[in-house]
Amino acid sequence: MEQIKVFLDESEMPRQWYNILADLPTPMRPPLHPATGQPVKPEDLAPVFPMNLIEQEMATERWIQIPEPVLEKYAIWRPTPLYRARNLEKALGTPAKIFYKNEGVSPPGSHKPNTAVAQAYYNKEFGIKRLATETGAGQWGSALSMACQMFGLECRVYMVKVSYNQKPYRRLMMQTWGAECIPSPSDRTEAGRKILAQNPDSPGSLGIAISEAIEDAVGDPKARYSLGSVLNHVLLHQTIIGLETQKQMEKLGLYPDVVLGCAGGGSNFAGLCLPFVRDKIHGKDVTVVAAEPTSCPTLTRGPFRYDFGDTAMTTPLLPMHTLGHDFIPAPIHAGGLRYHGMAPIVSHLLEEKLIEARAFDQIETFTSGIQWARTEGFIPAPETTHAIAAVVQEALRAKEEGKEKVILFNWSGHGFVDMASYDAFLSGKLTRYELPDEEIQRALATTDAFPKP
Amino acid sequence: MTLDQLLEKIDALEGRCPKLGHQVAFGYCRRETGTLPCPRTLACWQHRFNAELILRHLLTPEQWDAVFSTAPKTRVDSLLEAIEAAKTRREPSAQ
Repeated sequence: MEQIKVFLDESEMPRQWYNILADLPTPMRPPLHPATGQPVKPEDLAPVFPMNLIEQEMATERWIQIPEPVLEKYAIWRPTPLYRARNLEKALGTPAKIFYKNEGVSPPGSHKPNTAVAQAYYNKEFGIKRLATETGAGQWGSALSMACQMFGLECRVYMVKVSYNQKPYRRLMMQTWGAECIPSPSDRTEAGRKILAQNPDSPGSLGIAISEAIEDAVGDPKARYSLGSVLNHVLLHQTIIGLETQKQMEKLGLYPDVVLGCAGGGSNFAGLCLPFVRDKIHGKDVTVVAAEPTSCPTLTRGPFRYDFGDTAMTTPLLPMHTLGHDFIPAPIHAGGLRYHGMAPIVSHLLEEKLIEARAFDQIETFTSGIQWARTEGFIPAPETTHAIAAVVQEALRAKEEGKEKVILFNWSGHGFVDMASYDAFLSGKLTRYELPDEEIQRALATTDAFPKP
Repeated sequence: MTLDQLLEKIDALEGRCPKLGHQVAFGYCRRETGTLPCPRTLACWQHRFNAELILRHLLTPEQWDAVFSTAPKTRVDSLLEAIEAAKTRREPSAQ
């Protein structure tokens, strides 16, 4: 029988994380403190992070030892298996070989505990008793809840109220692991009370939940804040994914032509890809692709220019359609990778052209996710479907070119607690909705006599 | 169709929010910060209907500029600002 899985045993688990800052061709610009305009110093972060993690955040050593207690916890689900998606290959009729690293086998079902466990450990070592964080759908909140329980820390999760009401199973996972899960805005913080005073029915937002979690941590000397994406130390902890994968690919005697991951905050993408970016920096011919969740490239009402021009990814998204006039609106800053959630390291790699970004519409991603589930069996998390859409695109390209490409991607999590999203897709709620501009114009005209708010 | 009817129709449409990681209705996106839309609203919705046309009508030019014509903050910027704000909020009670 053909081999479709590659395992490593515990003794083969990497003992070090990889820090790409040591290999960057050009150094990253340091973040500036908004109050002083000066580069951020360790003491600026000290109210919310323990110093041992701040040191990692600013570290430039190439390899950082993984503490034994962290390895012991990792060993519950790591090393994770590398699979070959033979059934998808057949369904696509592609000559490409598709491999995926299954990070969905962790207890919370995603890659997130790779950093949650490490962060809980370092906080415990620093003498911290409690961690506070924010969460949307709850993938990060549940990972941190489990990690805190593993190291005997209390955990308080501010969950955006609209998510709290919509994702009861993630909330219950957090509570099962012993965390306190609070709908945000809450009356626990000044930030939350201010919002509730203005609007008692506020559904909350990620921004409010972040403010609450940080205020909570700043107000208690035995508490700290924890973030599951974006920061350098988070990406560092995730590199165990790519380091394991390199060993597994080596066992197969293969090296990928294309490495892909979905990029929301950047941590699962970076986790798989950074060790391969290191190879690329040192001369390997490998394409590294970040699959971005956004709708822009398939805009039907006029092309939006969509490229990444600067490190902070603040390049405006320029709408080129003219609303029926000769008037071209001012540049619009919009989301995508450049929305404030992207990791600076990933932004920098893009600017350095060491990686490329592709964006996929939600219809395309769910279609690929369904195709995956119907061929490979596993139901992917909605985020993961973005990477799958990129894989399908790449595999079909290989078919067109008649090339036996080796495609590798990070299957970052399962979708068992995201079935409502699948329901929205399967029931047609996400299908494209045609509302002619003329109909909108007519409706808007009905209020032209009234002043704007 | 009146504006109210239009808004009722589109406010109920669902899309996937890349910030929260689940489905939300357009009505949430256009009031995400309380009164103002989420800066991602156009990126997430424009392909389904002309959200720009509607939001330009609903918002004042100042509100529009505040949301869509200024560069979004990086997550690190937001983090540092939240730390400063939290410290400021805590200082009066500490005195």
